[in-house]
Order: sequence, then C-alpha cells, then structure tokens
Amino acid sequence: MERRAVRPRDNWQQVAAEHGFTFHTPDGERYWDESHAYRFTLREVEEDLEDPAEELEQMCFEVVERAVADEEVLRRLAVPEMFRGYVADSWRNGERNLYGRMDFRYDGNGPAKLYEYNADTPTALYESAIFQWVWLEQAMEQGLVPEGADQFNSLHERLIDAIGRFGVDGPLHLACARDTDEDLGTVEYLEDCARQAGLATRRMFIEDIGLSDDGRFTDTDDDPVRWLFKLYPWEWLMEEEFGSRIPGSDTQFIEPGWKAVLSNKGLLALLWEMFEGHPNLLPTFFEDDPKAASLGGRYVRKPLLSREGANIAFVENGRTVMDFDGPYGAEGFVRQAVAPLPSFDGRRPMCGVWLVASEPAGMCIREDEGDITTDDACFVPHFILD
Amino acid sequence: MKRSGKIALVMMGTSALTLTACEEPKIDTAIFETVEQCVAEQGLTAEQCYGEFDAAKAQHAEVSPKYNSRADCEADFGAEGCEVSPYRGSTGGSVFMPLMAGFMMGQMMGGRGYTQPLYRSGDDRKAFRTADNRSVGDKVGRTQVSERAAARPAKKLYTQRRGGFGARARATGFGGGG
Repeated sequence: MERRAVRPRDNWQQVAAEHGFTFHTPDGERYWDESHAYRFTLREVEEDLEDPAEELEQMCFEVVERAVADEEVLRRLAVPEMFRGYVADSWRNGERNLYGRMDFRYDGNGPAKLYEYNADTPTALYESAIFQWVWLEQAMEQGLVPEGADQFNSLHERLIDAIGRFGVDGPLHLACARDTDEDLGTVEYLEDCARQAGLATRRMFIEDIGLSDDGRFTDTDDDPVRWLFKLYPWEWLMEEEFGSRIPGSDTQFIEPGWKAVLSNKGLLALLWEMFEGHPNLLPTFFEDDPKAASLGGRYVRKPLLSREGANIAFVENGRTVMDFDGPYGAEGFVRQAVAPLPSFDGRRPMCGVWLVASEPAGMCIREDEGDITTDDACFVPHFILD
Repeated sequence: MKRSGKIALVMMGTSALTLTACEEPKIDTAIFETVEQCVAEQGLTAEQCYGEFDAAKAQHAEVSPKYNSRADCEADFGAEGCEVSPYRGSTGGSVFMPLMAGFMMGQMMGGRGYTQPLYRSGDDRKAFRTADNRSVGDKVGRTQVSERAAARPAKKLYTQRRGGFGARARATGFGGGG
C-alpha cells in the first residue's frame, strides 16, 4: 500500500458534472481529491481486506442470531423495547439487506482492524462505485496511472443485481432527510440503480412520509409506501413520532430492521466478547462492563449510536485528550482499544470495504488530517497494481 | 478483474440515456356511463352488466382519490363533481372523493382487464379516467385501452398526518448518512 501523487485530470470537474457528481466540493471545501491515489497489491486487497470483510460479515450474523434470541442483548444495544420483536422478526423472516461499509485501520502491514461497521446508512457510495471507476479508466487512458491497473470495485454491477432480488412488486420509494446534499446524492444513485434493475421508483423526503387512516405509510400522492429504501438511521426512525407505527405497517424497509444491531457500536463489543483475539478485531467493551478496565486509562470512547465521527473521544490516563462534538451519547458508550490511523505523508487514510448483499464488493479511502475520520475527510481514489 | 465491466447511469448527469416509450399493448374492453347503456350493447346480458357495475361501484370508495376538503376535490374534478366518502379524517371531519362517472368491463373477449370505476376530471370533461388517473378515451361501448390502464386500480389511502419522521435530522442539522 502506498500513497502516490497523480496528476489530476484537466477536465475532472466537467466529467463530474456529466456524471451527476454534484457534491465533490461542498461549501468550497475539497472532498473529491485525485491529486493522489492509493496503490494496493492484489494480495493486500484480497487477503487483508476482502477476505476479512467476508469473514467478519459471517461473525456479524452470529451476533444478530444471538441478539434476536436474547432480549437482553437488544437491551444492551439500546434497541427500544417495542422494537425488539420487530427487529427479531425481520431477521427470522429472512429480510434481505442491500449494503454496508466496514471501516478498517490498514496500512499494508499486519491485519486490518475493524473500527466500526456502518451497516445502516452509509454514504460515499456513488463516488466509490461510479466516479472512482471513471477516474481509473480515464487516468489509465491519459497515462496518469499505469495501464493494466485494476480497482476493487464491482459495486455498480452488484447493486443493480441485489436491488433486483428484493422481489419489489410495486414502486420502490427512496427517502432521505431534506437539505443533505451527500445523502441525496447517495439516494439518487441508488434510484438510478433501481431503474436499471427494472423497478419503478419514487424519490421523496423522509419528512414527507404520511400515515393513513388504516396505519399505512403514504407518499405525497397518498399512495402506499410498500417498499422503502431509507437513508435515515433506524434508531431515529424508532424514536420519532411515527416510529411506533412501523411494526404494524405493511412497509418493507431497506435496510431491514436487523441492521440496527450491526450499525450499533455495541456490535464491536459483542464481536470481541464472542470472538476475542480475532486478528481483525480491536478489544472493545461496553462501558459498564467491568472488563473495560482491562484497557486501562487509554482508549477510544464511542457512543453506541453515532455517525461520521461525532462524539468520539480519545482518552489517555483517564482524561479526554481529544474529542469531536456531536449530538450522540445518551444511549451509552463502548470503549475500544486505541489503534491510530496510519500516516502517509501526514495524511490519515481509513479503508472502507463495501458489502453488497453481504458480499465484499469494493473499497473507498477517505483521508483526514487527524485521528478521527469526520465529515470533512477527502475521498481519494485507489488502484490495484502489483 | 475486480471492477465492474461497465457502468451506466440512466437518470444522473447529462450523459444519461434517454428512454423512448414503446407502444403499449392494448386489450379489448367496454366502457359505459350507466348499466342501461351496457344492457343495450349487443352481446352483453343484463346479468353481466349489473355484475360488472356492482363490482366497479363496490371499489369506488376504496380506489378513488381522497381530499380533505370539497374545494380541493372540486379543483380536480369540477364543480358538483365530488361527494363525501365513507372515511373520516383524523379530527373527525369529512373526506371527499370524486363522483363515479362510469365503469370499465373486465374480461371482455378474453381481455385481461380489471373491472373498475371511471371518473372525469374537471379540466378534461370528455375523457374517462381510471382511479389511477389514466385516460381511457371518451368512447362509450366497446373499445381498446392500454394494458396498464386496465390494471387493477390501487387502493387510495387517506393520509391523516405527515411529518412524523425527520425530527432528529431537523434537531441535529444532519441527515443521518455516514
């Protein structure tokens, strides 16, 4: 694994416009950054990232199995009481899932370590699947990257295939919150994939969902929302006004309810409890677990429910030395052993491995300046070349 | 190769392909404003006609569009074009729906259409429309309509409330993606 300087394509902004990539420079801050790229060997990708992601997904399934059989586990994950049966049923009924992103610490040496699993509402999907792919094709064409390079990225093919397998028998509604360019970009891309899978689609905002007289969710035309892809966290849906109506509605959610178990940082503590010592796991404990003391005074404190680095704190000698403010934390915390992001020329890449229908399908690298990968990280493309 | 063989976008960006609509397959059916018109049609029995009319009428309240106020309904279906539905709003108020303007027969001459009520919109008084707002022309009697228009109409729900999701996004100023 190396970080290489690459000359940006002269017309990349125009290419972005042509491909509907509208959020590459949000608020004037660079997000898409092709002045560098990460090069991996095929062995690094396959043995150190792809295979572990596949194995971890199976381990995650064992955690879900355990959670749905033991209400105490769902309680520890702060799943509201009224949703415990719903989450369990969504798993027992075999509800399919679409995608997720596992974030790893990886630097080319030694095993990748799972920081967390965004199994419910991952973004950066479009730029991983499309714009990164287009970049490699054009960069090879223009001689910016050696001919014969490859990329860990079958996202687009797999997404279309997976969406086609849900058995959606009417329009697929796709929703995210208002005023969120990045989330909207992700939803627009998945809508495009759904159309290519032959589905009728309707895009809407989560705020516009209605509730009918007979307890069904409706769109702005009063049509029933039977199939809903929601880029909106399960834990928010559960606690909001209409949340209590979800179990009695006939809406099929994508991602399914059981993803609430996996997108929870408590997953990391449960994985460690069940697979202690696994090379791809970092020691992690629920904060109220006496075993958390084994980490001593130096650990990373993460809320059970958090996105984009919010409310994550680094603790040393029992004192918080760095934290990133945010709205999370009331539901409890886990403590994770410290594994700082590697440094390449002072930049700190995080390796995200995508899963589509639970199979590894691609990768994205997001670079930040500090120890916590936040909303402000840059997306840097990658290629494979031995 | 560990990457997709090809990629295509059909909606995003300016490179999106334009899909051209194909001619839709049509099926045989018949449209009537009243049972009497139906009975007068050669080859149709009174029993058949009453059966079809009753089947359409029975769906009317379920499949017709719903409105909070008579004015909203009449804006779409014209003055005197609406009636009170059997449904009640969340605060107990009336819910309005258009008057049934006719019916379309199912299963005519092997056609696979679905028996259903028809409506007339305020801005296009001549044409009949299905409950799903597909025009099926202005011809009374035997006719052909697109397969899609002859499909079973969706039950129209009456939305009592909106805005029950999204509070956390509003409160945090952040959409929840990551």
